[in-house]
This record gives sequence, C-alpha cells and structure tokens, in this order.
Amino acid sequence: MKYTPRLPVSEVNVTPRSALKEFVLLAGALTGIVVGGYLVLGLAVDLIVPRLSVDFEKKLAGAFFSALESKPGRTEHERWVQTLTDRLQARCAGLPYRLKIRVQESPAVNALALPGGHVVVFSGLLNTVASENELAFILAHEMGHFNHRDHLRGAGRALVLMTISAALFGPDSDISAALGHVLNITELSFSRGQETAADEFGLDVLQCAYGHAAGATDFFRKIPASQDPGVFGHYFSSHPENQRRISHLDALIGQKGYETGGENTRG
Amino acid sequence: METLLIFFVLMGVGYAAGTFAEKRHYRSIHTREQALLRLPAVTTRTSHYADTQIESADLVLGSAVISVDYFKQFVAMLRKIFGGTVRSYETLLDRARREAVLRMKEVAGDAVVIVNVRIEAAPIGKKSRKGNVSCVEAVAYGTALWLRPS
Repeated sequence: MKYTPRLPVSEVNVTPRSALKEFVLLAGALTGIVVGGYLVLGLAVDLIVPRLSVDFEKKLAGAFFSALESKPGRTEHERWVQTLTDRLQARCAGLPYRLKIRVQESPAVNALALPGGHVVVFSGLLNTVASENELAFILAHEMGHFNHRDHLRGAGRALVLMTISAALFGPDSDISAALGHVLNITELSFSRGQETAADEFGLDVLQCAYGHAAGATDFFRKIPASQDPGVFGHYFSSHPENQRRISHLDALIGQKGYETGGENTRG
Repeated sequence: METLLIFFVLMGVGYAAGTFAEKRHYRSIHTREQALLRLPAVTTRTSHYADTQIESADLVLGSAVISVDYFKQFVAMLRKIFGGTVRSYETLLDRARREAVLRMKEVAGDAVVIVNVRIEAAPIGKKSRKGNVSCVEAVAYGTALWLRPS
C-alpha cells in the first residue's frame, strides 16, 4: 500500500458564505417576527379589552398594584380627593369600579388611571388647580379613561411587548429596557384620540355634578407650552395640542348648551 | 441606550478582529499543511513498514484552543432560534482540528508516519445564563513511527 499525501482539494467543512449576510438575514427575520407579533397581539388586546370583566381586571391588577392597595395612613389631601371622586362617581359617572385615589408626592402635574380602578394623582397637580371644579374635571377625565377602558389598552399593549422581549432576551436585558422607551412614545400617540373621548365624558360628568361646566378648560389654560415632561407619561402636559382640546371643549359646551357662568367652588 | 451602543461596539470589534484573526490563521494553516505534507497522519492502526524497519514508536499529541468572537456567538444565538446549520461555528472547529493535527505533526518531527490518529473536540469555558464567550479545544493524537537508519 503506497501512501500519497495530498492537501484537501476543497474546504468541505466550512461553508463559503459571509457571516455578515447571515447575521443580517437572521436579525431581519427576528425583527420581522417581533414586530409582526406585536401588531397581531396588540390587535388581540384591542379585541379582548372590551370583553374583559371588571372583576377579572381587578384580579390582574391585584398582582401589579398590591403596593398601592396596602398603603396605610391616608393623608388629608388623599381623603379629600377620594371624597370628591366618590361623590362624582355615585351621582354622575356610575362606573363599575370602586375608584381608589392615591396621592403621590411628586412635582409632576399629572394624574394616571391604572388597571383595577386605581387613580394616582400627583401632588404637583393638586398644587396647580385653583378650584374644586377644575380638579373634578380632571378626575372625571380619568373616569372617562376607565369608562372606555383605555387604561387596559395601554397596559395590555405594553404587557404584550414586554412579554415578547422578556421571552426572547430575558426580563432584565438592555433590549427590553430599550424597547420600553420606544413603547412610551407609541402609546402616547396611540392615546391621543382617546383623550378627546375622555374629555367629552369628563365634561358630561362635570355638568351633571355641578349643573354647569365652569372650570372645564381652566386647567389646560394654565399648562405652559414648554412644560417639562416628568418621569411618567404625562396625560396633560405631553399634549402640545392643549389649544385644540380647549377649542373642542368650548365647541361642545356651546353645542350642548351647558352653562359656564356658574360659580367655581373653592378647593 | 448606552448599553445598546456597547452591544454594537462589541459586535463590530468581534466581527473585525474575528475576521482578521481567522484569515491570518488560515494563511498559516495552509502554509504549514503544505510544509508538513511529507509526514502522513493516518487513521489505520498499522503502516506498510515492516516491524524490523521500525526503530521506535511513540505517542504524539497536539492540541489547540480557539475562542469564538462576540459576533459569531450572536449569529449562532440567532441561529438557535430558527435552527439550521450553524455556519458561524464551522470555521472555529475546522481551525481547531487542523491546528491540532499540525501541532501533532510538528511534535513528531522526523518520524515517517503517524498511525492510529484520533481527533477529539470539547468545549471550554462554562456556559452561563449571561452567555459569556466560550472556546473549543481540539486534541489530535496518534502513534508516530521512526525508522532505523538503513
């Protein structure tokens, strides 16, 4: 047996293909799937939300907001806002929620509607409002969000995306955090149409509670155009279109024949 | 956001440095394979030399550890989602095996043949949840035969 040494004629063990091309292909496919999944599941959220019972929502929210539930020692401010909310709720709004007010010490001029009937009011907002009517309109606006279940839509979409990201990259990954930033922007633009609907609901509640609609637009007139957006997504000051909302409310007041000459109740 | 920047920098560095090192390594492999062509390394247990011709037989062993770069690992991670041939690891193992064989031949020196050659590979570096960069080791070993001076 004669052995003839020779070099391998071809590199069969190495596929002659650019790794960069493979990376672009795979990363592109993955991005497509994530985006597609987000759109589909986001759509699913919009279908599911109107069918979710309030009881079930409370159960879901319990897991996320148990810290808010168990907070002891309510402040005087908190009790006062709670009383005002309960009165609006009992007489005019009639939502299937037991709304729980939480006043958060923060310079942010904002209020948030969270799943489970939680309303977070920042102390910066309480310092800004001058009359009870003004605050009542803001609370009624938040009730409008509950009525249309916008708070679930927002949380649902956020939940869907974060779930995908956490499943693929891990819950603590930088990619998840980066997606969280992107998410805020889209959810804000997403909710703009809902703000108008909430304004309309708020206006009706205000008229019902006080017999006039004075104070409905006071708050928007106070927000300077260059309001610094705080830590949370601002419901009010994130909207550069305050003027548009004022005009819309004014038009609606005229259309429905609501009075605005009524006396503002001092807060 | 800056963590995302770090990710892209690592990807870039991994791709550039990894490609550079790989090209250089293959150049070296090709030259040395040519130079060591005179020494056959075969998997048979015997050679065509008669027992009387053989002066000595000894174990020769070569091993090489090649590390994966960040870019290759990320592509492989993507590949794990979709399945299929993990091409980005192919050069890694190929280089490790060929380098190990070359080193084994270099150890054998002026032997006439290496018989019963075996090649094995093993991963090195614990794979953790964080997915830190790991390496592969290839070991090539066989029995080198030296002839009596005739």
